[in-house]
Amino acid sequence: MNREYFEKMEKIIENRLSRRTFLKYQMKGLLFLAAGSSGLILPKKIMAEPLPDIAVAKGEAVKAVRAAVELLGGMKNFVKKGGKVLIKPNMSFPNPPAMATTTHPDVVCELVRMCNEAGASNILIADYPLFDTDTCLKRSGIADACGKLENTRVVGASSDRFYKDTEIKDAKKMSRNGIFQEAFKVDTLISVPVAKSHTATGVSLAMKGMMGLCWDRSGMHTKELSSSIVDLCTVLKADLTVIDAIRVLSTNGPRGPGKVLKEDTIIASKDMVAADAFAVARFPWYGKRYKPSQVKYILEAHERGLGRMDIENLAVKEIQV
Amino acid sequence: MKFRTIIQFISLAAFLFLLVTAATTGVGLVSPDLYLRMDPLIVFGSAISGRLFLVSFIPAIIVVLVTIFFGRLFCGYICPMGITVDCSDRLLKLKKKRGEGRPGLYKLKYFILFFITVSAIFGVSAVFIGSPLSLITRLYGLLIYPVITFLVKMGLDLIHPVADHFEIYGLLYADIASPRYATLFYVLLFFTGIFAAGKINTRFWCRYLCPAGAILALFSRFSIVKRRVSDDCTKCGKCARLCPMGAIDKNSPENTSFKECIGCLICRDVCPVNAVDFNVKGVKRKDYPDFIPERRALLYSGVAGAVFATANLTGLYSVYGKPGVGQVSPKDLVRPPGSRPEDDFLALCVRCGECMAACPNNALQPVWFARGTEGLFSPSLVPKRGACNPDCNNCGVACPTEAIRPLDVLDRRWAKTGTARIMRDMCLAWEHQKRCMVCDEVCPYSAIKFRSEPGNPVPVPEVIEERCSGCGFCEHHCPVQNQSAIYVTPMGAVRLNKGSFMEYGKSQGLNISLEHKGKKEQAVSEGYPGESYPSNEGDAPGFDGDAPGFEANAPGFETATDSLESKEETVHEDAEYDIAPGFTE
Repeated sequence: MNREYFEKMEKIIENRLSRRTFLKYQMKGLLFLAAGSSGLILPKKIMAEPLPDIAVAKGEAVKAVRAAVELLGGMKNFVKKGGKVLIKPNMSFPNPPAMATTTHPDVVCELVRMCNEAGASNILIADYPLFDTDTCLKRSGIADACGKLENTRVVGASSDRFYKDTEIKDAKKMSRNGIFQEAFKVDTLISVPVAKSHTATGVSLAMKGMMGLCWDRSGMHTKELSSSIVDLCTVLKADLTVIDAIRVLSTNGPRGPGKVLKEDTIIASKDMVAADAFAVARFPWYGKRYKPSQVKYILEAHERGLGRMDIENLAVKEIQV
Repeated sequence: MKFRTIIQFISLAAFLFLLVTAATTGVGLVSPDLYLRMDPLIVFGSAISGRLFLVSFIPAIIVVLVTIFFGRLFCGYICPMGITVDCSDRLLKLKKKRGEGRPGLYKLKYFILFFITVSAIFGVSAVFIGSPLSLITRLYGLLIYPVITFLVKMGLDLIHPVADHFEIYGLLYADIASPRYATLFYVLLFFTGIFAAGKINTRFWCRYLCPAGAILALFSRFSIVKRRVSDDCTKCGKCARLCPMGAIDKNSPENTSFKECIGCLICRDVCPVNAVDFNVKGVKRKDYPDFIPERRALLYSGVAGAVFATANLTGLYSVYGKPGVGQVSPKDLVRPPGSRPEDDFLALCVRCGECMAACPNNALQPVWFARGTEGLFSPSLVPKRGACNPDCNNCGVACPTEAIRPLDVLDRRWAKTGTARIMRDMCLAWEHQKRCMVCDEVCPYSAIKFRSEPGNPVPVPEVIEERCSGCGFCEHHCPVQNQSAIYVTPMGAVRLNKGSFMEYGKSQGLNISLEHKGKKEQAVSEGYPGESYPSNEGDAPGFDGDAPGFEANAPGFETATDSLESKEETVHEDAEYDIAPGFTE
């Protein structure tokens, strides 16, 4: 049982459960039930044997990736036969996988294999590294490990040629940016970020990671980073998000070196906001716990209807592999 | 194709190979500066002005020894400048007046040589004015290579829609780095002049102007293998007409100016009666025409060199004397990592641009007059264009005179080029209260710390100067346009003539490492009280402390954490949470 829960109970007992407190709790419960029955909260839980909104698998990376995606109904739910897939890992830093600043190659490779099994015709793994492209691709281990797999190409998209100037219709701050051209051509966009802290935005996960598929990142900072990230995600909405939390960079992200937690966790969801929100709540950041709403772009994405951060109301299925 | 032409092309190809490998992969098979170290002017000029002799100068000594035995073969067969001039002479199909020369002009190169030598004696390097290898390296490395890569890039841009349409992935994602350089117009104009001068005479540069050729000329008059003409000579004058150096006496073709002869063997090949041979012994002929200038004229050019040197040394930017109060240095001029102290650096730098061509990030740029005439074309680090990789020492390896010292990887990181400085009134976080921290994100040395500033909702950056190596990744990536809000100043740059940069840095209290962890904790122990995040209160950077919305103990989710928590405690060996995990605070 939760330590905090006990503390709370103790407090309540100490206060001898004053009438006021009692009423407050009663009211809360009532409201909750009313909301639930009207379908505002917990809509998914009512359906019979539904697929979870968030799938969590714990264990060895390769198995966990497979298990998590299977929980969401398998890769065939996301990749159609003959379809083109764009996988967006984080390979933006010239660091080895152990530093948890880039997505683990095992995770990416397993996704590639699953895409191939689902019949994908073409798989592109792309990111726009912050540092020397070749060095980043090489040190992340992704270029070597995934480049060999069939139908697969690993690209460091660091030339403006690869970006198409795109209007962002639902933008709040950033109405235009160059977007990686392939993003519009593929049938499936899979985001595979590594879970890490970020000095400016709190965490860098699936949504923040989409900055690796756009050209003008400086402009995003000058405009307003959090809103710009949400603006960007309105056009770069991942069909499947798989967060690599095998290692979690809990401090000093995004560049590291920082404290790396060994979590052996893979979080998968159709909803990138939900996946991000779950990762925020699940792991400690700088030794402390945070609510998803404490990450500004997650809050904004939720409010703008891009996805849901109220994970407490979503169906989470967790397995150990 | 003639034997000489083949050798020439092999030599040019080798030169270009070394240059291109330096520019692309950074490591050639032989050190990339080999050709530069064969240039006698670079070696002798730098040895005099820098008061330094390096073992790596030996190639030029070998060139001189070869010259003593065999004549100016370097000029005729090896020198990429000579080959390039040959090519342009041929390509431009300029009027061939090969054999003719202008006796007065032949002396010019000695004047230039004297000018440079006397200037060097005063400690001012003017080698760059006339060193053929320095000039040709800049032509190929800083002008032609960028132009070619640019054209390739443009080509890729053009065919991109086609490749995209037909999904030719090899072409679609092919890419090439196209460097950019300052001071290109000087190189362009200079070589336009040199090539156009081929209209006057073939090998105009080599005959009249090249001071390195002048050095070799002084030695080649003693050469053992010489052009010798037998008595079969009919004095038809064909050889004199075709000599690219104009080294044969028109009126009596059996006479050769041994100083000018580059041993190209054209005279031997064209002689209708096979009267010409190059060998050790044979009929001895006069060294004629003799283009040695008068002593008085040489003296004048020496005086001119002295005036040039002293004018530099009395200029505002003079580096004469020990660095200290009153020495004026440009405020933004950052030198490459491992550069010697400025006076020695400038005395040794031959402005060849090899370091710039070898820089993988295109970060090194030639400067114009920012450092006075003394610093013309010397390299400076321009982080806005490209930052300095912590593990890269290409510039040091490429430098022919060790003006930038070659260092081992660890020492290299301690070769601090300067210190980053934040202009708070321009900074997105400090001034505009926007989330940014890109400088922290990209700093390889963890030299940026964040802290909370009262009244500012976002974390703000600060430089930990003893950790800063001056690499400029912060300046390069700073989103503030035109003038980055964080930039590298030369302050605190470590410039050493000898010894370990690491040891020196440690003795100065520097703490440069790529492995710094936990900025927060260390910053506290390093004595920044009150400036860092209080260790147990306050939020992690980037999180909203007072986020609105969702109830902390929302139903449904509590159970989730509930089950996780116990696992986590077993997972994290070094768990250190005093506060119970959860969302209330």
